[in-house]
Amino acid sequence: MAAADVRDMLDLPAEGQPRPHKKQKVVEKRPEGITRELYALLGERAPPIAINENRYKGRPKWMSKLRVRPWGMTPFTNSARSDDLVLRHWKRQQEPAKVPALEGSEMEVDEQKQEEDASKPTEQDYTFAKYNVKARLPNRYTDEEYSRHLKSDDWSREETDYLMNMVEEYDLRWVVIADRYDFQRRPVNAEANTNALVPAKRYRTLEQMKSRYYFIAASMLALEHPPSEMSEAEFELHEKMMKFDPERERARKDLAALQLNRTADEVREEGILLEELKRITSNEQDFIAERRELYSRLEVPISVGNTTMYQSSQGLSQLLQTLLQADKTKKRRSLLGPEGAVPSPAGQTPASNAGTAARDSRADTPSTGPAAAPTNKKSVAAAAAAAAAAAKQEAQQQTLRTLTPAEEARYGVQHHERLAPSVQFRSDRAQKLTTAKSNVQTQKLAAALSELEVPLRLVMPTERVCKEFERLIQSVNLLLDARKVSEKVEGEIRVLESAKEERERKEREAKEKENPEVKTEQDDNAAPAPVPGDSAVTSQIETSTGETGKGADTAAPDAAGGATLEASSNTDQQGASHKRSASVLSDSSDKDAKRQRK
Amino acid sequence: MNPSVPPSAAEYGGDEVSAIVLDPGFSTTRAGFAGEDTPKSLIPTYYGKYSHEGQEKLIFGDDIFVTPRPGLSIHNPMGRDGIVEDWDMAEKVWEYSFTSRLTGAKPGNPFQNGLNDVPEGEMPTEMEGVESDEKPLADSPLLMTECGWNPTKAREKTIEIAMEKWGTPAFYLARNGVLAAFASGKASALVIDIGASSISVTPVHDGMILKRGVQHSPLGGDYISSQIRALFKSNNPQPITITPHYLISSKTAVDAGQPPQVNYKTYPPEKAPDASYRTLLEERTLSEFKECVVQVWPGPSKLLSPGPNGVSNEEVARSSPGRPFEFPDGYNQIFGVDRYRVVESLFDVKAAIPDPDSPFPAPTPAQTVPELIKNALNGVDVDIRPHLLANVVITGASSLLHGFTDRLNQELMQTYPGPRVRISAAGNTAERRFGSWIGGSILASLGTFHQMWISKKEYEEHGPNIVEKRCK
Repeated sequence: MAAADVRDMLDLPAEGQPRPHKKQKVVEKRPEGITRELYALLGERAPPIAINENRYKGRPKWMSKLRVRPWGMTPFTNSARSDDLVLRHWKRQQEPAKVPALEGSEMEVDEQKQEEDASKPTEQDYTFAKYNVKARLPNRYTDEEYSRHLKSDDWSREETDYLMNMVEEYDLRWVVIADRYDFQRRPVNAEANTNALVPAKRYRTLEQMKSRYYFIAASMLALEHPPSEMSEAEFELHEKMMKFDPERERARKDLAALQLNRTADEVREEGILLEELKRITSNEQDFIAERRELYSRLEVPISVGNTTMYQSSQGLSQLLQTLLQADKTKKRRSLLGPEGAVPSPAGQTPASNAGTAARDSRADTPSTGPAAAPTNKKSVAAAAAAAAAAAKQEAQQQTLRTLTPAEEARYGVQHHERLAPSVQFRSDRAQKLTTAKSNVQTQKLAAALSELEVPLRLVMPTERVCKEFERLIQSVNLLLDARKVSEKVEGEIRVLESAKEERERKEREAKEKENPEVKTEQDDNAAPAPVPGDSAVTSQIETSTGETGKGADTAAPDAAGGATLEASSNTDQQGASHKRSASVLSDSSDKDAKRQRK
Repeated sequence: MNPSVPPSAAEYGGDEVSAIVLDPGFSTTRAGFAGEDTPKSLIPTYYGKYSHEGQEKLIFGDDIFVTPRPGLSIHNPMGRDGIVEDWDMAEKVWEYSFTSRLTGAKPGNPFQNGLNDVPEGEMPTEMEGVESDEKPLADSPLLMTECGWNPTKAREKTIEIAMEKWGTPAFYLARNGVLAAFASGKASALVIDIGASSISVTPVHDGMILKRGVQHSPLGGDYISSQIRALFKSNNPQPITITPHYLISSKTAVDAGQPPQVNYKTYPPEKAPDASYRTLLEERTLSEFKECVVQVWPGPSKLLSPGPNGVSNEEVARSSPGRPFEFPDGYNQIFGVDRYRVVESLFDVKAAIPDPDSPFPAPTPAQTVPELIKNALNGVDVDIRPHLLANVVITGASSLLHGFTDRLNQELMQTYPGPRVRISAAGNTAERRFGSWIGGSILASLGTFHQMWISKKEYEEHGPNIVEKRCK
């Protein structure tokens, strides 16, 4: 096949690019220092050896034009020294002004000038004398100043002088001062000390020296300028020196020594902790973002649809299927583009079934493989399998351990008496409680909950919260019942009272007509009704609850202790979700109880 | 860079006044001009003494090794702790160190040097200048080094010699710990100097030693030699005796572990050199042995302690391949775990090889290197300890033992797990051997240093005690 055909097939232009040229012969340059004849013998390819002639590099060409300038051993003195020691060093000698037109090189002239400039100041002063600096120290005290301001029980005048000299000598390098500090106390009175032993050498710590020095320096500064007239920097310095606390400094050093002498384990532990801290701080943002997302999810509007159809296992699997379907079609679409056919759910299910079947069969193969093998092999395999199973079981038994109640609570392990047949949400169960049989009752319940500031849908329906919620709803129900009964009783009382009044009026009218002795009799009959005694009410409630069909015998004490019960239940709940409801609740329940008593 | 332009003072800070730096040690004495990178003159501090035709003669320098003269005995003016014992001889040895190579003969008076000879009969009349030429150091300032524990008397004696005998115009006495720190570019450092006669640990702060932290112990290179001798005595196939080259006339090669086949040279008793001569030459063989064979157990744990995986470190060391060494008489052997054992006592006294004949008493735990460092750090302020540990400088020729720095690093990391430990040891052999000399060379060639010299005038004014005031 010719190239033209290929180009044709590939729809390329006939002769798109000219053919690449043949490689041009590279004519290598003959390196210097090798004769032409010898180089010709090497042939085309030069050996990979660099041919270098060892030759003294020499000076650059332009320098050969320069004149040699003389240097001389020149004596010099150092102004930083107190004596005039004469040392000698090499130095370029000053030349008499040269005729610049000698070579016509301007650079040379420039250099010459520079030299002159550079050499002039050194003539006057030694270059390095300017580095001779001393630390700024406070003024020395006079005798009078010392006796008036600086006296100390701990420090004698001699030792103070010694300290100040040391400080000056070592330029405030405290580490060195403390190291070299060696004050020999002269016996003040030789005769007095004869009977004493050799005076114990006092050991001064660095902190003692520092505090003494700072005290003196600060005092001298204050004597020079009273604190009111000090400049800002001076005042700061004064403050800093006055505030020096040797005790604290000593404690700090003790801590530093402790820190230095840590064991390897402590160091490792600290490293681990630091690492952990780093990890936490670096993950903090992520964690906060995740949490926010979770909350935003929790705050989605409550779905109004009924979820009961999904509560059986069948319904749930159906839901799963539809969700999967939706997911798949979405994926397909994005893959195939908008014109991709939407697969029918009917066609999809068998395919997935087939997939699972295939998976099953694949899973089966290892077990069928050994079965087909010769019997001895099979038995070996079986034994091995049995051994493995036994080992596994053993391992499982080893891993089994009983959890303590605390651990159970921590891991959320629960033991159920009886399990509901299907999957259901815990929140749904709690939700169901809030709906009563009648719409009115439901509304009342909702009103009670909103009064307690408990959301209708639980924010975080943990198990404990749900339980408490259940109890709360129960007691609210009870309360509502009690209220209903009390209202009924009140109504009855009102009716009876009005009836009584009516009667009394009638009787009075009648009495006015005839004699008034009958009144006491009538009073005895009606007395319990207008004066509401507790026992009367409870008995009334008893009867009414008996009528409503609830647990008649237990309801009475429950209702009586309703307030306390609610309060306690709410305080329990407090830990889980709310804080403020306890007082509100107890308030309201007190009110309720009062109302009840009426 | 244009070589005709001097480096600017700002970037270099140097100003060379042709000062001489003299760094006397126990084993060698180093001398050279300040500003150079290695000492030009390196001589052994040992000197030889013999009598020739009733006259006592002295030999200095490398010549002491060469000829086994009859009755030649070898001496050392320095004491084992690095302090001069024999001042007269120390002066001579030191003088030899710079006159032999550095100062040389003066260019004489042009009237007298033979080049400008006038016809006979006319005697030159001027004789001045002769007097000033007598002093060997008349025009070079001298910087000398000393150990950190040098007593005041010795320091005063040193300046006396330099000023009065050598006539130097300016003198300074610097601590070798400080100089070793300067040589590695640090003003504050913990300097660990492993020398021939002693180990020293010197805390340096801002170019000054902290006297309370200075520690030293005699476990130097010579101690390791004595350990090697003890090892040779108890060597397994046969005890090894070191025969120096001068006692051997011919030898034939033998297999490893076989007794040597050698013809000895014999010296009649009246012509034989002193026993100290033989010891000196044996030491040369031993230092060769230290260079080629001896190795420091790399750690992290001690050689005698069990290793990380149950196998004792000694077993591990035994399984590593040995190193061969051939002695001057042709005897050769492969040294296995023993090559670790001879230096282990620098870190762990329990590993010391006992030898009743050795001049060194058995080491105490406080003399080992980690203990010295610990004591040195305890002697200084707690605030600078971490800084010192981050600037550990190792110097001295014996620190060139294979694996020494690694082991020391391990030991320090174990002792001080908290602070950062950083060891700086020059990789270059010369820089390690001449650390304090190089520091002196740097110091004496600095322009800012020239104000610190003690001049002759000051010496005459204040007397030798000025060295205590000025060289702090």
